[in-house]
Amino acid sequence: MGSESTIPSTVSDAKPQNPESELVKPMEGNGQDPNGETLKETSSKSVFVNSEPIREEQVQNAVKFLSHPKVSGSPVIYRRSFLEKKGLTKEEIDEAFRRVPDTPPTVTSAQPTMKNQDGQLNSSANMHTQTQSPQPAAAAPTAVVSTVATLSKYQFHWSHAFLAVGLLAASGAGSALFVKHAVVPRLKSWIRKVVSEEEEEEGDKKSNSKPSLNEEAAAAAKAAAAAAADVAKVSQEMLNSKSEEKKYFEAFRSLLDVQVEEMRSMCNAIRKLEATRDIALSSNKQTDEHTQTLSWNVRPPSAPASMEPSVTPHPKSYMEMTARVHRGEKPPGIREINDLPPNPNQLLSNPPLAPRVKPWEVVSQAQNNSSYGLQSHTNDEGSNSKEQDSWPTSQLNGYGSEPWWQQKNMRITEIESENEPQTTSNGAFGVTNQQVPQRVWVPPRAPPVAMPEAAAAIRQPKPLIPRGQTSNDQISAGPSDDIDDELQRVTKVSESGGQLEINNESPSLESNEIREQEISNERN
Amino acid sequence: MPIFKTPFNGYAVKFSPFYENRLAVATAQNFGILGNGRVHVLDLTPTPTPTAPISEVCAFDTADAVYDCTWSEDNDNLLVTAIGDGSVKLWDLALPPTSNPIRSLHEHSREVHSVDWNPVRKDSFLTSSWDDTIKLWTVDRPASVRTFKEHAYCVYSSVWNPRHGDVFASASGDCTVRIWDVRDPASTMIIPAHDFEILSCDWNKYDDCIIATASVDKSIKVWDVRNFRIPITVLNGHNYAVRRVKFSPHRESLIVSCSYDMTVCLWDYRVEDALVGRYDHHTEFAVGVDMSVLVEGLFASTGWDELVYVWQHGNDPRAP
Repeated sequence: MGSESTIPSTVSDAKPQNPESELVKPMEGNGQDPNGETLKETSSKSVFVNSEPIREEQVQNAVKFLSHPKVSGSPVIYRRSFLEKKGLTKEEIDEAFRRVPDTPPTVTSAQPTMKNQDGQLNSSANMHTQTQSPQPAAAAPTAVVSTVATLSKYQFHWSHAFLAVGLLAASGAGSALFVKHAVVPRLKSWIRKVVSEEEEEEGDKKSNSKPSLNEEAAAAAKAAAAAAADVAKVSQEMLNSKSEEKKYFEAFRSLLDVQVEEMRSMCNAIRKLEATRDIALSSNKQTDEHTQTLSWNVRPPSAPASMEPSVTPHPKSYMEMTARVHRGEKPPGIREINDLPPNPNQLLSNPPLAPRVKPWEVVSQAQNNSSYGLQSHTNDEGSNSKEQDSWPTSQLNGYGSEPWWQQKNMRITEIESENEPQTTSNGAFGVTNQQVPQRVWVPPRAPPVAMPEAAAAIRQPKPLIPRGQTSNDQISAGPSDDIDDELQRVTKVSESGGQLEINNESPSLESNEIREQEISNERN
Repeated sequence: MPIFKTPFNGYAVKFSPFYENRLAVATAQNFGILGNGRVHVLDLTPTPTPTAPISEVCAFDTADAVYDCTWSEDNDNLLVTAIGDGSVKLWDLALPPTSNPIRSLHEHSREVHSVDWNPVRKDSFLTSSWDDTIKLWTVDRPASVRTFKEHAYCVYSSVWNPRHGDVFASASGDCTVRIWDVRDPASTMIIPAHDFEILSCDWNKYDDCIIATASVDKSIKVWDVRNFRIPITVLNGHNYAVRRVKFSPHRESLIVSCSYDMTVCLWDYRVEDALVGRYDHHTEFAVGVDMSVLVEGLFASTGWDELVYVWQHGNDPRAP
């Protein structure tokens, strides 16, 4: 896992320490056990990483799952995501994959393999293009090669053609032989037969010519009459059947019409029901049901609205919209908007305001005792608020009326007294508008010492009291001298406005720090 | 309390980290199904009796729905929006509308559902998309710096840790929350937080190991990443899917959430009876909610009823 103890030096925070080790300080602020945190820190792992050991039982269950024949057919990503949902850590999943033979273990390794394949495909494609591009360049030899190739292609073609021709010839020859041997003798025999029959018939016909003629005529007439009768009957029957069919057809049509009417009425009834149901739904919004999901949203089923329990009543216009889009109609009012940047290299506007400190950052910074830095922040914020054209809240403070969005109801104090109030500033909430929230006491910026004599006069009585307690005259003499020296230095500081070293301590116009120096001097 | 009516259905609100009275609203036409989008920048007029409504500073139109918006942490005029056609657009309020957008970063193959700016490093932002990936961007680069592809389904939200500038959490429709460190190639933690899709997550601003997750199963769970097997607490009270959850920047244990049951709820997860406030001012799905970092107790919410409400804690959002 990432080396949290060696944060890259590109981190440009104002925080002096590692972001990871800052866990300790905020934990303290929240009442957590700092020792536990430091222990975690010493194990050189981020807190955002699994630190549990591998659970053997879970791994074994996973191995059984992965060894199942049905599972081994599914893609690896589904198997991984199933195991993740079951609560296995990455290490456990990797261990399970390792134990089950011949399965591709990790997505990350699958990805590089895919990438390799893509790379190979790309490289082969590149090769193809590369081989094609030099071809026009090297004209003659490659042209010969190509013609040889085409020739070889044609030769192929020719051999195929020869084979086909040969086959056809062979089949033709075979059929000719067959005809010669088999068909012709049959023809000849048949012709002979016919000839012999004709000779016989001629002999018979001469004897039975007349009476057979009459009989034949009569028989023919009878046959004709019978045929006509038959034809008449058949035509009659056909007419009958046609009329019957017509009747049936009309009956069918009428039935269809009836059915259509019924369907129409049903549609109307359904619409009415839907309308009444929507009204009923809109009046009963808060029905609580636990049915399973159905995805039926138009925006292809990734929209979270689609995966809810299907009872969530969507607005009626939403349903109409989805139905419309389902049908493929484009809803009205959609404009063609060109929202591409007119200048993709447009520079950002300058200069930006300095970022403001977040409330939770203030807490941690105060704990880090970077008070000087914090004051510079507040100073910046104060100047920022004056720079802004928008509402300068700190200025409003003096005028007595705050912007409405900062006023709180009296009800809030009741509500907040129920919850453990984290701050004691609830009552005074709307009034103070310092950028720094009330929770942390920030030493206010002391005004520069305008009248050093007055400052000295204020300070002088104080050392007199402890001086009276000490019985040492020398000590009593010392502090006064120090105070005078210090006074001179303070005046120098206030005049120059720069930074001077006073007794190797960081200079500051803080009155409290000056008092601290005095106390330390007194102790000395 | 002022109300602003947007022409399209609201999707997200975000207070500016620079100006106490400024917020951005992401909206989409036709509920975001199909249509244009618009992002509004609103200013709260400072009159103590707000008879005047919220005023609109400017608005930008987009070809597709705007699903989320966020402000830059180091440039007071820079606004980033997540668009339904897979692009991420940057807008500069100091430039005239004809010069906007200044960037259109199109790398996601599906809708970009959320965008979040890094509050610690202040120079980068994350976008999470329905193409299962999360991308890390900086403003100066035209292409993404990193792509995080591990989720098996849409990533609905990714949120930076408020103290550690390299750590973020992502909530996905594959029912897991993943913790990532940008210095590591893969996610560092997988929390199977719910049995249904997880729509939103947020870090506790005062305890950087606490995460809240909001899911389609109507509950909000609060987790400690050091012991992620069991949630610290489960907050029940919404009647439909919880769309968004946010930790208060001012109160350590205060959570605000908005849900498809049209309410915005306040929770204190350390208390036995966690539900401490409920606002039911919306008449359609409440989809976006935000708490101001600069003004304690200031809330804003928007929903599919095309209204944006801004109110102070304890007041009725609909009161004039």
